[in-house]
Amino acid sequence: MSVAWVGSQPVPLTDAVRNAAKLLASSRCPVFTLDADVHGTRSAIALAERLGGAYDHAAGDVLAKEVALFTDHGGMFTMPGEARRRSSLIVIVGEIPVAHHELLQAWAGSQPDLGDKHKRTWFHIDGTETIEADKLARKLKAIPLGADGLSLPAVLGVLRAGLQGQRIAASLTNIDRFRKALTTAQFPVFVFSGTSGETAGLVMLQGLVADLNKTGRASSVFLPADDDAWGTALTSLWMTGFPPRTGFSNSLPSYDPGRWDIQRMIRDKEADLHVWMSTRGGETPPRGGKIPLISLSKTNSPTSGAKITISVGKAGIDHDGVSYSSRTGTFRAVQAAQPSELPSVSSIVGQLAQALPGRKALPC
Amino acid sequence: MLIRLTGGDVVDPVNAATAKRDVWIRDGLLVDAPKGATADETHDVSGCIVMAGAIDIHSHIGGGNVNTARLLLPEHHRAHQPRPANTPLSNAGWSTFQTGTLYAQMGFTTVVEPAMAPYTALHTHLELADIPIIDKATLAILGNDDFTLSLLRNGKSSAMLDDYVAWVIGSTRALGVKVINAGAAAAFKENVRSFSLDDTVPEYGVSSRKIVKSLQASVTRLGVPHPLHVHANNLGIAGSADTAAATIAATEGVPLHLAHLQFYGYGTEGKRKFSSEAARLAEAVNANPDVTIDIGQVMFGQTVTISSDVMRQYLAIGNASPKKTVILDGDGNGGGGIVPYRYKQDYYGSLQWAVGLELFLLITDPWRVYFTTDHPNGAPFTAYPELFELLMSSNARDAKSTELNATALGLTTLASVRREYTLEEIAIMTRAAPAKLLGLKDRGHLGAGAIADVAVYRKGRDIAKMFREAALVFKNGDLVVKNGKVTHYRWGKTLRLNPPPDKAMVKRMQAYHEERYGLSLDWFTFPDSAIQRPDPFAEVIS
Ligand SMILES: [Zn+2]
Repeated sequence: MSVAWVGSQPVPLTDAVRNAAKLLASSRCPVFTLDADVHGTRSAIALAERLGGAYDHAAGDVLAKEVALFTDHGGMFTMPGEARRRSSLIVIVGEIPVAHHELLQAWAGSQPDLGDKHKRTWFHIDGTETIEADKLARKLKAIPLGADGLSLPAVLGVLRAGLQGQRIAASLTNIDRFRKALTTAQFPVFVFSGTSGETAGLVMLQGLVADLNKTGRASSVFLPADDDAWGTALTSLWMTGFPPRTGFSNSLPSYDPGRWDIQRMIRDKEADLHVWMSTRGGETPPRGGKIPLISLSKTNSPTSGAKITISVGKAGIDHDGVSYSSRTGTFRAVQAAQPSELPSVSSIVGQLAQALPGRKALPC
Repeated sequence: MLIRLTGGDVVDPVNAATAKRDVWIRDGLLVDAPKGATADETHDVSGCIVMAGAIDIHSHIGGGNVNTARLLLPEHHRAHQPRPANTPLSNAGWSTFQTGTLYAQMGFTTVVEPAMAPYTALHTHLELADIPIIDKATLAILGNDDFTLSLLRNGKSSAMLDDYVAWVIGSTRALGVKVINAGAAAAFKENVRSFSLDDTVPEYGVSSRKIVKSLQASVTRLGVPHPLHVHANNLGIAGSADTAAATIAATEGVPLHLAHLQFYGYGTEGKRKFSSEAARLAEAVNANPDVTIDIGQVMFGQTVTISSDVMRQYLAIGNASPKKTVILDGDGNGGGGIVPYRYKQDYYGSLQWAVGLELFLLITDPWRVYFTTDHPNGAPFTAYPELFELLMSSNARDAKSTELNATALGLTTLASVRREYTLEEIAIMTRAAPAKLLGLKDRGHLGAGAIADVAVYRKGRDIAKMFREAALVFKNGDLVVKNGKVTHYRWGKTLRLNPPPDKAMVKRMQAYHEERYGLSLDWFTFPDSAIQRPDPFAEVIS
């Protein structure tokens, strides 16, 4: 089975690495689309730094929204484990990615053992745009909180005003039930994700949580739209001081979600080489780019349109690694579930760095 | 490889060997002058001070909360990237890479991250492993988790607590234990908004004092070299000196380290009901040999406060500058708050600055007072050179005082204290004493057999410049800094105790995590190999 291709031609891995290194060495502004575990991310960022490139995650659009909640505002948060143990009132906000449904259902199947220890009640704050979310809400027997024709941020705004005792423009279904639930729950928790809505809506939600904390306690659980993307953001933060979208100029990192939006850079021909990673596999690079592409993808065939394709494994499946997990809200060491020969991103990136002129090893 | 540093003024209080003499390094270790041997490499360090590499016992350099601060404040990092020479705070040491670089350039070779939440230990160690050059160590946080509080409530045996503490130290790769506002984070989840030494945690009925005393005793019984590291209650509040005094009085012959005492040095005198109690606290420390303290000196300018004292950080939200904060009710001992803050040269800032200096100068024994800004809470560690100057020059203090709020300074003893730290005392406070406090026999001095962590400073009238830009720094014998700039990157280790786990405790932990979190224990633990660097850890033999 081939693991490396130049164009559509299978080649030995060393040839693919040599060819890819040539492209990297001659690039004036390479851009990196990341999709790997912590160690793959560390090596890729180190390579981007060496080459003066820029990077973002494959799920960069929704990640940027999540990052913006923090860079613009901040908020009050708790960990998934604490919510499970302490919260008897859980409010699902908008759309929560399918990957997290099992976690929420596990909470639904357990009883809080700290705090008020009441049987858990679920609500669901709904906007016109959240359609998929209803399925989850039904499974959790969540009581809907919303109003016909109102978007999620609007519902949150109305709810916030209503809870503050202000007169509200629209009536929300079940707001009285929710008020009542708040009076008995000692640690209500709002569960949200980057998929829940635009940053402004997430900021409004944090305003609501802050209001509740004036007299009682409340918090929120952030379930990232994509765990691996959030892990990449955290790794990027300690390595460079910045979340993605970050680029290097004069070897210093700079964070600028507009300037270093990789898709934009490709469209506007600011970038001249795209290193695209997809360890989850089954993905294709975004269209629209006319610049050369190096693909590091979990695949058994060459990536269409790529000058070079190198097949890589995924941490936790093909090899051991470290990934962010929403189960614990932090990093977890993951073991290979089905160990394979597929190389890790970090080993391929390490080989690329070694094949560059100067032959220096990467610091990661 | 044999290296000789010749002609320097060696400051080495541990070995009573402060004199003009040569220092010899062979294969990463310090050796006595070998007879008849010629050095492979000789450095003329005449006109220089030669000390062991400095050790910082309390600096928030990595982990979940530090990283969240980066996320909250990208502009902070941007503002602190290298700028034209020596602008104030020209670099806050914000990325892991900068952290190692900037510490090394000042001659620091070992730094302790003092607040590692056990459940996010892997994250902390991933960050520390990416800090180049220096060695690191961590203190694991205990005292706010359901497991500890339940043991204490249920009157379980001290042996069981010891097994638990040892398991936490081992599984998190810690060098010691820290307790942060004991019980307050758990109480805050139950909507308690203020918490003192004799207040009790709802549901558990256990007082803060009981938590501190139990952990202090446990750490001592286990033979952990570093005494329990205590972040006391009521940090930053007017009148907190009473809490600190009560905590100091409660040691009862057992060693205890009190962190960032400056933040507790406040009384309620004066028109603003915010005054200095530093003289009284210094006296209490001087009189109690069980106690060691570090200062947490405030320096002026923009910083960000990062603390696992979630109750205190929540109360500080109103003072945030810029106006954005993160408050995290973590699980177990995790969580905390990120509150950006600007120390102004107003009444409050001036008083805090003076309180820190009073404590430095009025506590007489340099073996029991430690040099910290509680980075970044009082100031970023990049402010250390200026702080050395303030301690070593009463003129420098006077000069700075003229810029500050006279009313505040009038409520302190600072102007009347003329003490100036000697180089010998600086070497004790920043090298010898930290090594002793942490149980690191292989460093903190320049005797034969120690690892060759050596800092060379060019003598000059500008004390801050001398300490900002070490002339030479060696880490384990590798020359890493020349003329204040890193010339060679290498990877240090994270020092840990690694006590063997009690088998029954591991079983108990497995059952606890499965029952309470619905997850097997391996979600919360990790193998060394997860760090993916060769030998990321080194054992400290106690
Ligand atoms: Zn601290």
